[in-house]
Amino acid sequence: MGINIKTALLSSTMLALTLAAAPVAAERILRADEVAVGEIDPAKGTDYADTILAINLYDTLVYPKQGGSGVQDHLATDWTIDGATYTFTLRDDVTFNTGNPLTAADVAYSYERMMAMGQGNSSLFAGVVDSVEATGDNTVVFTLTEPFAPFLATLVRMPIVDMATVKANEVDGDWASTWMSQNSAGSGQYVITSHDPQTETVMSYDADYFMEPVEGYPETVRFRYGLEPSTVRALMSRGEHDISSQWLPPEVYAGLAEDGATLVTEAGLTGEYFKLNTQRAPLDDVHCRRALAYAFDYATMAQLTQINADTSTGNPMSGAIPQGLTGYDASLPVFAQDMALAQEELAKCAYDPADYPINVAFIAETPARERGALMMQAIYSTLGFDVEITRTPWALFTEQVTDPATSPHVVEIAISAASPDTDSLLYAMYHSSQPPTWISSSFYANPELDALLDQGRVETDADARQDIYAKANAILAQEVPDIFAYELLSPFAVREGVTFHNLADPARTYPTSGFNMRFADISVPETD
Amino acid sequence: MKRAAYILLSNPLSVIGLLLVGAVFFCAIFADFIAPYPDHAGAVINFAFANKPPSAEYLLGTDVVGRDILTRIIYAYQVALGMGLVVLLIAPPIGVAVGLIAGYIGGWTDFILMRISDIFLSIPPLVLALAIMGLLEPTLFNAMLAITAMWWPWYARLVYNITRGEKVEGYVLAAEVIGASKAHIMFREILPNCVPAIVTKMTLDFGFVILIASSLSFLGLGVQAPTPDLGSMVSEGTRYLPDSWWMTVFPGLAIVIAVFGFNLIGDVLRDVLEPD
Repeated sequence: MGINIKTALLSSTMLALTLAAAPVAAERILRADEVAVGEIDPAKGTDYADTILAINLYDTLVYPKQGGSGVQDHLATDWTIDGATYTFTLRDDVTFNTGNPLTAADVAYSYERMMAMGQGNSSLFAGVVDSVEATGDNTVVFTLTEPFAPFLATLVRMPIVDMATVKANEVDGDWASTWMSQNSAGSGQYVITSHDPQTETVMSYDADYFMEPVEGYPETVRFRYGLEPSTVRALMSRGEHDISSQWLPPEVYAGLAEDGATLVTEAGLTGEYFKLNTQRAPLDDVHCRRALAYAFDYATMAQLTQINADTSTGNPMSGAIPQGLTGYDASLPVFAQDMALAQEELAKCAYDPADYPINVAFIAETPARERGALMMQAIYSTLGFDVEITRTPWALFTEQVTDPATSPHVVEIAISAASPDTDSLLYAMYHSSQPPTWISSSFYANPELDALLDQGRVETDADARQDIYAKANAILAQEVPDIFAYELLSPFAVREGVTFHNLADPARTYPTSGFNMRFADISVPETD
Repeated sequence: MKRAAYILLSNPLSVIGLLLVGAVFFCAIFADFIAPYPDHAGAVINFAFANKPPSAEYLLGTDVVGRDILTRIIYAYQVALGMGLVVLLIAPPIGVAVGLIAGYIGGWTDFILMRISDIFLSIPPLVLALAIMGLLEPTLFNAMLAITAMWWPWYARLVYNITRGEKVEGYVLAAEVIGASKAHIMFREILPNCVPAIVTKMTLDFGFVILIASSLSFLGLGVQAPTPDLGSMVSEGTRYLPDSWWMTVFPGLAIVIAVFGFNLIGDVLRDVLEPD
């Protein structure tokens, strides 16, 4: 009977689907999805969807190193570092989708545009670069204000735009901001066919791309936004969706796997953090924060990340830094629940839990995280806290976190290192100079930690940096601006017949979150 | 009244309605005694038993954190009925007073009062409630407030129309002639003649209030976790369709039972009390 109802519901959901893809002549199409909004202007995007769009529509000087850590050459074939001066030699065979050749002047312009607009990943470069100069068609020189160790790694976040096209579409000196959110002007392997940031971005392969695609690469990509888990489930079982997003509840991946999909995971230097608002009582008292961290049920959390016998979406954590980043210390014990210590810390806390209700938010688009919130509610109410849970849509949440006073006490978010360097993770999350965003939403300020993070930026010796970040990691474990729940392995369900090579083979995996979904590295069957 | 009771009990439809509504009230009142796992109505997590289909142990299955769905439905009826009772204790008196005054006094009073209620009526109910909830924190109390705000004009309209008809009847004129006060005429002479229509509407509305309240919480604007609520149970369950169908289907059926029961009673009551 169970089976019958399930089948009946499955077919009725299918009937109800309005996302009917019109059948076309044999063509290789890849259909994937992400959370809305899809921002295609590389100077504005920051989140996972934006990253995927940026790496497919645009190229960068360097790319995270395949099968390793650090970076490898991409648009730049070679570079020399002289203190604070970086000289890059560019490939001379790259053209934009428009046919314009990609030159050093475009690189300088792209940097200028991103910084002038001051959005997206520009904060990664703020105060770092003194000047950028195109000294030849294929030579560009970056002069930094002072030595900045993570600079090369950070360049994976600076996509190069076609200066001529952008300038042609500028309106009143807006750097073509409006136009670039609707069109692409890159050299990437894909080019925009149509784009609706709430619904779908359609892209087609650019045959002139300078790198070879894999066998069976998709000619067209339909990147959809905001699909309900049950919709993804039904579309995939019908063969009308190829790669799921990473935000589905574990049960849905398990169901998809049972129906023949392959599950792959991306490590991506990502931590699953429960951000604690260190500016709001009672969590402005470190003892209260420690009490919450000690009481946190890491073991149950680990169980929850288990999709099925073969696939887990989490590794235990021992500090703020995920494996694969400088400062990670494999010898530290992983976190575990300790209610006695929690009570002890709570006794030292200046606040009486009964008087300070705690607001735990979870992001509406990631429904599985309600479990973490419910778990906290169950445990923390035994400590005497009144815990209220709110389901907050992502758009509202990003608005709330611009002010610590409106930001929730606790929220579970996955945060990835923007570049393959520890600095891009810790600095963005915890340096007191950072503006309030979802990444820095614990609003933590500690001069001692600031000093270490500043030091990590100028120190170029690898061993010395390991020590610096290990120290920072130890401070963070003591100060608990966040509860370090687990290292996230982002899961993706891949339809039978489709191969996500970069994640299926560890030797081909790029270390940074989102950089694996290069559409031309995915093999799809023909659709007719 | 005796006649009404007789007809209600002799009509098979209303008997079904009474049984359904009776069962719903029984569940809500005696939840603590009949729910198999009373603590599952609160902040309980039991991941070892999460996502279990219906079985002897969990008759209607469990949700994603391992709570018994039957228990949560039983407790959700408390919230649903409480919502219905509060809204129907506040909205009709306001609406009735407005309708009586506007209908009987007429003139500018009529014009102003009825145009105000027309403004409320012109906005789709769910949109109005959503707008109010958008301004306020999403809590049970505010949900009640929002629903009450959209509900009273219907009573104003209903009573207004009856009053307009009644005020030219002989008994009203007679009362006026002997010098009865306006308040006396409105509330002692005309109001009793509106009662059958009001009672019928309230019975029918009970189901609709439950439905609207469920819609609000389906959209995430009603009762907050961990309080069980039918609308949010359906909403949460849809994410796990079609595999974990019991998470959606049973709370959905629970809403159907309550709304259907009240409607059956309301329908028959209307035939009895307004035989025209």
